Amino acid sequence: MTMKKTTLFTAVIALVVTSVAIAQATGDAERGKQAYYDYACYGCHGYGGIGRHDIANQSSGVMVNEQVFLLYLRARGDQNPAFSTQTMPHYPASSLSDKDALDIYAYIMTLVDYPPQVEDIPALQGILDDAKSE
Amino acid sequence: MTKKTEGDKVQISRREFLGTGAAAGAASIISTSAGAEPQNTSARQEAVASVSPPSDEQMAREVGAAIPPTDVQSAVKRPGSDLMVEVLREMAIEYVVSNPGSTFEGLQESIVNYGDKPNVMPEFITALHEESAVDMAHGYARCEGKPICALISGTIGLQHASMAIYQAFLGQSPVIVLIGREDFGARQQHTADDIAGMVRSYSKWDATPETLEETLNTLQEAYRQAMTPPMAPVVVVLDAEIQKQEAGDVQVPRFRPPVIEGVSDADAERIADRLVVAKNPRLNVGRLRTPEGIDRAVELAELVGASVQTRATFGPMSFPQTHALCGPGADENYDYVLGLERPGTHASIQNPSVRAFDDRDLMGIGFGNVRPPVRPQRDTSGEYDIVGDAEASLPQIIEAANKKINTRNRNAMSVRTVKHRKANRDARVAMLEKAVEEKRKGWNGSPISTARVFAELWPLIKDHDWCLASGTIFAGSHHAQLWEHNRPYSYLGMYPAAALGYVLGSSTGAGLAAKARDRIVINIQGDGDFNYAPGSVWTAAHHQLPVLNIMHNNRAYHMELMYLQHLAGVRGRGTERMHIGTTFRDPFIDYASIAKGYGMKSEGPINNPDDLYAALERGVNSVLKGEPYLIDVLTQPR
Repeated sequence: MTMKKTTLFTAVIALVVTSVAIAQATGDAERGKQAYYDYACYGCHGYGGIGRHDIANQSSGVMVNEQVFLLYLRARGDQNPAFSTQTMPHYPASSLSDKDALDIYAYIMTLVDYPPQVEDIPALQGILDDAKSE
Repeated sequence: MTKKTEGDKVQISRREFLGTGAAAGAASIISTSAGAEPQNTSARQEAVASVSPPSDEQMAREVGAAIPPTDVQSAVKRPGSDLMVEVLREMAIEYVVSNPGSTFEGLQESIVNYGDKPNVMPEFITALHEESAVDMAHGYARCEGKPICALISGTIGLQHASMAIYQAFLGQSPVIVLIGREDFGARQQHTADDIAGMVRSYSKWDATPETLEETLNTLQEAYRQAMTPPMAPVVVVLDAEIQKQEAGDVQVPRFRPPVIEGVSDADAERIADRLVVAKNPRLNVGRLRTPEGIDRAVELAELVGASVQTRATFGPMSFPQTHALCGPGADENYDYVLGLERPGTHASIQNPSVRAFDDRDLMGIGFGNVRPPVRPQRDTSGEYDIVGDAEASLPQIIEAANKKINTRNRNAMSVRTVKHRKANRDARVAMLEKAVEEKRKGWNGSPISTARVFAELWPLIKDHDWCLASGTIFAGSHHAQLWEHNRPYSYLGMYPAAALGYVLGSSTGAGLAAKARDRIVINIQGDGDFNYAPGSVWTAAHHQLPVLNIMHNNRAYHMELMYLQHLAGVRGRGTERMHIGTTFRDPFIDYASIAKGYGMKSEGPINNPDDLYAALERGVNSVLKGEPYLIDVLTQPR
């Protein structure tokens, strides 16, 4: 299979998976986008779900369904205060309503990242080629 | 005017000293040393204890009632400050960076007017803030391993500069801070009994010379103190009157560079013996002092066929990253590890774990740090087996090793070298194969991924002589994997004091070093840091420094945002107001316009990743022509 075909195949599969996932989300993704920004989720997860802790492509186990996501938010605690930015804040219902949380969930489920393959990125491929030629 | 203290030791303030016969005191000091007298020494106390009472004229000056006659300067044919410039010139001080003040117009006038080639060696560089001036000197020092001067005016300038002096101190960088002092007239409110005392706890050495002869000697001693390991900033207070006074027959003393000794001959023999006998020796190279030290480290590694660990992706003056011997080597079971300004180590990183080799023979040469351990409970006193200067020790070790190498062990070393070369090359390729998979994540994202900024910049600069001047942890440090750090100044490292307001100035200082060396400077500039003292943009534009500023514009003090966010979460109070005090919104800051206002070519904000490469290319082409450039890139937070 050529690389372009591989990329296309991956994209199609991703689209199917994503569509199914969105169907499972009951929140409002559009509202969730604003909440994702307002609650500064982007701080660690990037504006598109790629950051210090990637969550795009439903890559996080806590995104398996809404209930697990909610449970995760509520159960979070100060697990490692010495390195506080390494752990995610917890979000009790008093600070993040179920509705807002489910909206955020719905938005995160829309986040996908299918970057080009390395061989299709001249800058990265060039760095690799240079190292191999040394 | 003297004060009796416990133990009947005589103490006297500088102001009192001036008023009680400076000439007698100064003469005593000069006779006891090369003229460089640090504050608060017993010699000074003894000197001032014997001075005579103040004259009426001196008392008038002391209370600020004396105004110097305006025609005095026209009668001065050989101003003292001309001789100061000669001293700086002889020490090859390339620049004096200064935010102008009214306590050193004597020296400033001499720099820009005196000599066959006025305003050359040193050249007067205009900074728009004293913190920027010292940061520039710091950036230069990290590139070149030698000092330039920051010229500061009185107590007010020093207070502005103090943060940058603290950064240089923690950065172990040689910087000469000159402070103008005027004890009468309009500038009287800018003086103090002990100006340098303000920064004494984070400078290595300071002095307040009282005569021209002493001033000249003190400048030379300041250079020696700054350059002697552990290197650090030094402070010299320059009296305004001495700068302007007639030098008469005073001569510039011959400059004696510092002599830095290495290990004893016996230790050099012992180390060389182990390096030659070892079947798998290893060098652990930290930050050496100068580029010459790196050359010697390379020579030693190649001589004995040792694999090498480097700090080149963490800071300046370490072993070339992609040298054939740099890497884990063919066998990580090293039987002798020699640390050079780094301790030897029992551990080897064998991904994904770290393995300890308890039976390793370890040795480390180093001076350690001028600052106390970061964690008080950590005792670093035994960190080095030999407390001394590694760089100065290398020639002795090389000489001793050369004598011990015979045909048999030379062959073994050659075989080892070939194996290391292949293993290190394979290790780098393996590392890169993993790294590029990580770096491509979010490649087409907007705002732009920080990895893409580093990746797309590399092909544009790799064939040029470049220096990455900015600390990059906040921007992902992607260069550590993607770029090749093979020169002493390839990467200048993080903010030594982990404090913002440093990067723009220090990168501009790196530009000063680069200007005459056909080198370009890359500054991945955090937006938070930029806003402390953006005037360095003007300095770069005015002096045409080849600095490419690429904004890592995440529109926030992002680390603080995350800390605040976490705490609010712990307290269960929500994170929807965490932008307050941590972000730059309403309005967003337009860095391209700021740069344009300062006279620097610029563009942005760039938010479309497809526009990035062309912008970087324009920026690199500009700095290759010697014209600084700023690109505002809207980036992912990290």
